[in-house]
Amino acid sequence: MVCDGFLGLAASTSVGLGVPNIAIATVPGHTGVQSKEELRGNILGVTMDEIVDNLTREPETATQETEPGAYDIVVKGGFEEVNRYFYEHALSDGLPVVPPTRERVEQFLRFTDRSPDEVLGILLPDSRAATIWSIAVNGVMAGCRPEYMPVLVALVEAMADPYYGVEHSGNTPGGETLIVLNGPIIKELGFNYTQGVMRDGFLPNTSVGRFWRLYLRNVAGFLPHKNDKATFGNTWRVVVAENEDVVKELGWEPLSVDMGYAAGDNTVTISRFTGGNHISSISGSTPEEMLPYLADAVVRQYSWQLMFTVGQGMGTLRPLVLLGPIIARTIARWGWSKQQLKQYLYDHARLPARQYERILRDWTMKPTWNLEEEVRLGRVPKAFFESSDPKRMVPLVWEPDDYMIVVTGDPARNSAYVFAHNGVLGYPVARKISAPPAVFRRRVQKKEEHVATP
Amino acid sequence: MASNDGYYEALWPRSPRQVQLKPLAKRLDTLEGKTIAQLWDFVFRGDEVYALLEEGLRARFPNIRWVSYKEFGNTHGGEEREVVASLARRFKELKVDAAISGMGC
Repeated sequence: MVCDGFLGLAASTSVGLGVPNIAIATVPGHTGVQSKEELRGNILGVTMDEIVDNLTREPETATQETEPGAYDIVVKGGFEEVNRYFYEHALSDGLPVVPPTRERVEQFLRFTDRSPDEVLGILLPDSRAATIWSIAVNGVMAGCRPEYMPVLVALVEAMADPYYGVEHSGNTPGGETLIVLNGPIIKELGFNYTQGVMRDGFLPNTSVGRFWRLYLRNVAGFLPHKNDKATFGNTWRVVVAENEDVVKELGWEPLSVDMGYAAGDNTVTISRFTGGNHISSISGSTPEEMLPYLADAVVRQYSWQLMFTVGQGMGTLRPLVLLGPIIARTIARWGWSKQQLKQYLYDHARLPARQYERILRDWTMKPTWNLEEEVRLGRVPKAFFESSDPKRMVPLVWEPDDYMIVVTGDPARNSAYVFAHNGVLGYPVARKISAPPAVFRRRVQKKEEHVATP
Repeated sequence: MASNDGYYEALWPRSPRQVQLKPLAKRLDTLEGKTIAQLWDFVFRGDEVYALLEEGLRARFPNIRWVSYKEFGNTHGGEEREVVASLARRFKELKVDAAISGMGC
């Protein structure tokens, strides 16, 4: 059963799942805005007959559409002609792409040891193979440099991780992935990790961010008006690199360590966020003076997303806070670790229980009717029902480590940025970048020298 | 005037689908006396929709039998993979003849 607005999505998704002829019953309009009488009329007057028909009438025979082969050239011509073709065939994001020629793709392949045919995973909803070759092709299109290839491969490995849940990338809130980069590769490839870190204008940050969205489109299959049902959507985000110089100076660990890797490893961490906000002018000379404002700001980013804490996602909400370096320095100089900061946010970024239940039960009709019952059934931690007082304050997340902290941005400004997470529909996943580009660069140079030697 | 548009042979940026067409189950001759499973993603008023369907279809097929969504759990959420993976086994155990899934809204 799907509402009117999802018939197109159902038609697209069913192809990727191998059941293009699956029977769909229509629910007229949207159930969320109908009175009980309207819903009754629609279900008994329309949906029910279609269900009976769907269950008793043999479906039409399905046919499989033909497509180009993995290595096929699909268009030959000038820059404009190639771009027109890509746009008209829904293969680009609307901006001009760098034509992916075999020569350019092979330049990218020199920066990986892996076979072009290697499959990193099968990406839903289109069920296409995430191959090294397709990564190179989309990397070229996005305007990446060949030496970014190891980063791109790690990103697609992360995208294919079931914990991330790529199949949800076209869901209603239109959340967008944020890529956080850690390790020496930040400086090696020239990523911006200081002022304007989320602004376009820096080739690696911008082109790798664009690659992510092109890959979601071309290989996973998320096209607006088809498999991508974002109500409003977001454009892709540029890569955020952490300021590891400051992290080291403070004696803190970078995000890569929180994600299970060693300090100094080159890693990518992906998570989907439905929005966020700049938290301006965080003032004070001690953590106690600064942090009430930050905790309050974190709470203000969260509404319906609480369904990922209690309800649909059950403990999968992972707020991300980008801390400006001088904020982090001010907190750390009083001996605070990153863990203490997370604990503070867990203890102080809280909502009245009444508000929790009102958002999930009364306003958005999400399946959390009552925190007391969830605790009684052992489905959520006891912190969500420590008393029956409806004004009691309950946390946004299950445990302090659910908070993710990244030090980045303008080194001279006292601001932060808080992201609203999309829970299980884009759960944080990290991957180590297999080898730094310098290794491959040396190999490429050696090969070229060898060829040039008579 | 000479063109600066260049010449390119551009590759396909997708990759082949890895899924084959799957046969659908044979349809039922009637819903009378049959067991129908309810699958729900726990959003968009599916609980009310299934209550309405039970009422409406029981009037047309008095011996229809329902297996509630409560038997299967949430098909969209933290445990969705486990829930979906268990369906074939659960359908056999519960002698389910057909299933309805919602709500895609």
